[in-house]
Amino acid sequence: MKNILLLSAVLLALMLFSCEKDLPTYYEFQGYEFASTDPNGGDWTPILINSGDEISIPTPTSITSSEYQQELEDLKLAIRQMTTEEEEAVTYWTQNPIVRWNEIALELIAKYNLIPGPNSDGTYTLPNPTNPSGPPAFPFAHPPYAIRALAYLSVAQFDGLISAWHHKYTFNRSAPFTQDETIVAAYLDNIIPSYPSDGAVIARTSREILTAMFPMEAEYIAEKEAEHLRCLLLSGANVQSDIDAGVIIGDAISISALERAASDGMKNAQAPKAVSDSIAASALDRYGWVWINQELPQRPVGLTPLYGKVKMWNVENVEDTRPIPPPAIGSPEYNEDVRILKDYADNVTEETRSIANFWQDGLGTYTPPGHWNDIANKYIVQYKMNPLRTARTYAYLNMAMMDAGISCWDAKYYYHYPRPIQTIEGFKTIAGTPNFPSYTSGHSVFSAAGAEVLAYIFPDEAATFRVWAKEAAISRVYGGIHWSFDATVGTQQGIDVANYTINAAQNDGAN
Amino acid sequence: MRKKIFFLNALLAALLVFVNMKLKAQTPSDALMMESKQACVLLDYNFSSFNQYWEGELKRENQTIATVQRKSIMPMMAVGILDDLNVFVGVPYIKTASTETNGGKFAGVSGFQDLTVALKYRWLDKDLNKGHISSLATIGFSTPITNYLSDYMPYSLGFGAPELSYRLILQYETNSHWYLRGAGTYLWRGYTEAERSYYYNNGSYYTAWMDVPNAMSAEAVIGKWLFDKSLQLEMAYFGLRSLSGDDIRPYNAAQPTNKVNIDRIGFLARYYFKPIEGLGVVAYHNQVINGRNTPEMKTTGIGITYFFNFLK
Repeated sequence: MKNILLLSAVLLALMLFSCEKDLPTYYEFQGYEFASTDPNGGDWTPILINSGDEISIPTPTSITSSEYQQELEDLKLAIRQMTTEEEEAVTYWTQNPIVRWNEIALELIAKYNLIPGPNSDGTYTLPNPTNPSGPPAFPFAHPPYAIRALAYLSVAQFDGLISAWHHKYTFNRSAPFTQDETIVAAYLDNIIPSYPSDGAVIARTSREILTAMFPMEAEYIAEKEAEHLRCLLLSGANVQSDIDAGVIIGDAISISALERAASDGMKNAQAPKAVSDSIAASALDRYGWVWINQELPQRPVGLTPLYGKVKMWNVENVEDTRPIPPPAIGSPEYNEDVRILKDYADNVTEETRSIANFWQDGLGTYTPPGHWNDIANKYIVQYKMNPLRTARTYAYLNMAMMDAGISCWDAKYYYHYPRPIQTIEGFKTIAGTPNFPSYTSGHSVFSAAGAEVLAYIFPDEAATFRVWAKEAAISRVYGGIHWSFDATVGTQQGIDVANYTINAAQNDGAN
Repeated sequence: MRKKIFFLNALLAALLVFVNMKLKAQTPSDALMMESKQACVLLDYNFSSFNQYWEGELKRENQTIATVQRKSIMPMMAVGILDDLNVFVGVPYIKTASTETNGGKFAGVSGFQDLTVALKYRWLDKDLNKGHISSLATIGFSTPITNYLSDYMPYSLGFGAPELSYRLILQYETNSHWYLRGAGTYLWRGYTEAERSYYYNNGSYYTAWMDVPNAMSAEAVIGKWLFDKSLQLEMAYFGLRSLSGDDIRPYNAAQPTNKVNIDRIGFLARYYFKPIEGLGVVAYHNQVINGRNTPEMKTTGIGITYFFNFLK
């Protein structure tokens, strides 16, 4: 008996030991040597401002000045007194902290990507930015909201760093760890001038943009910024005046970005019912069909009917990117698609199911644009991009995907095409049918646009990105929530829209 | 990977228990034992449904899924290795779907769920003045045998992870055949693999692996044998508490990482046909009366059991 008890205890201990959980909550990578330093990065063409020198910062004190020497002493003291927690934070932030802020953005998107449920009387309440705590909480970070948040974040970071690079190579103040041998750099030495701190530009910009996009998270975001700024000092890369100058740029560029955001048309995107009904009536007049929400209780208005009117980044007129009309309901092409969809639904394989789920990125997740940011993270690190190149990659990626979303939403509400569950009697899906018209597929347009930009930035990987974009597109057909032409035409639409952004990228001076 | 370590441990546990319990135990959770060389087959069918569930602690309905039905048929076999040691094997086939009409139009699923293997050992079996006391220990292991998707709630067949259960059962039966039984169980649950590389569980997770929370459960049963021990009637309370996990978020789907708590009451009747030796039928009903991140499930089941000697 004793043996059995002892044995059980040992086994239990073994089980408990082996059940230690080790699941990644962020992308772990080591500091690396940047593939380039881009000394002329300050001359690149920014998006929101005219040029990198438009934002000015104070001339730094000389490195021989007593002020600067005191800053070095303060820095050394802070490093000597570093706690274990601070050391872990320094390791976490790395010297490419844009990746971390992007992850924070994705986390907030996933946290707020919750569709408001019905009230007990069957009505729905919309999230309200003037009462963000709700319920329902503001925002509902659906894909159009998510990509807009990411686009402003990335564009502001990019412009802020162009400005930082301009001043870095104007003032040429070298990093503390190169000034004083007793300061050991926490990260691999990257010989980029330290005034102003690029990390501080990123910390302040990210805080300002994300706080505007996720007002309920102001406190959480401020804590992240404080931790990040502290780590810039503790890493031995910046003294306090480097950081202060970076914060000035971060504040200035955030104001420009948020000014644009305030007037880009997003606040009108969730149109009232009367407007939504008239949009539907126009489509019915024009084509003889109309998308109708199938939920119970029925939602009175689809998701952001006027997102197609939001100001684009690199396309003048959204109608220039509007695809051809979808097949008429009941036409041979339509009937063939009904057959295709029924066939997929009746023959779900492990492969089609896993593709449908892998790219689903539905409610409660970081959305399809978030998925492409997640993908970009890995390649940015793999290609050892410096922060400026990293910001540029995200800026073009997210501008192209936001333009793609706007173009897609224009088509969705212009054509107002029904979803499969609306027109195929008794049809069942393995993915959730979203609350907006079918044609074209958002996943297809977002993914094709994202893949094209990444293909431009990482040409050796182009084929891989394009295969993934097509897989993301067909995943919606496997899921039963999109017609195959939603996916194929959507992919073309995404490529078309992305080319406007790529054209801008090719002429920004970074090539 | 850690999962492999877990499997090795599970295997080791099963083997060691088997070998070390100096080979001197009807379901892994009751106090019935079969004698050595006796076997029992059980075929169980049950039907469950719910139209409300707890989202965190908030009880709600959701017309997207409307009423969800779940039908399960499970063949199970128990073998008496020794008078005090029984082994059980069973695997259910389950079918789930929403009734019409519903707002989500989600397809239900069907298939074999988890294979369970359990050893039951009776280490105490003693006559007292006014009754009889017995105690049993069960160690069980279950794991999915098909590639069903656990991350498709509420239709998924199960939580999709291996589970180890350690159970202690204590029963006291009076000479007038009333009995009280209590059981406590620790449930170690591994990871389940979703088909996506990112999910939210009070923060970001960049992996397809989801941690299914471990749990403790307790059961209290009062029952009586009637008609010369041919009819058994019992009422039971069953409670389960997850030891970690997140809440279902507002109007969002459940996921395997959720902290699931269940309070359930039930009734069971079992009848053994004296003229046909070894044949028995069982009928039961139970319902969840309170919970967290769990459906208000009502289940009704029937089963047929047959004992036989597989060796002379």
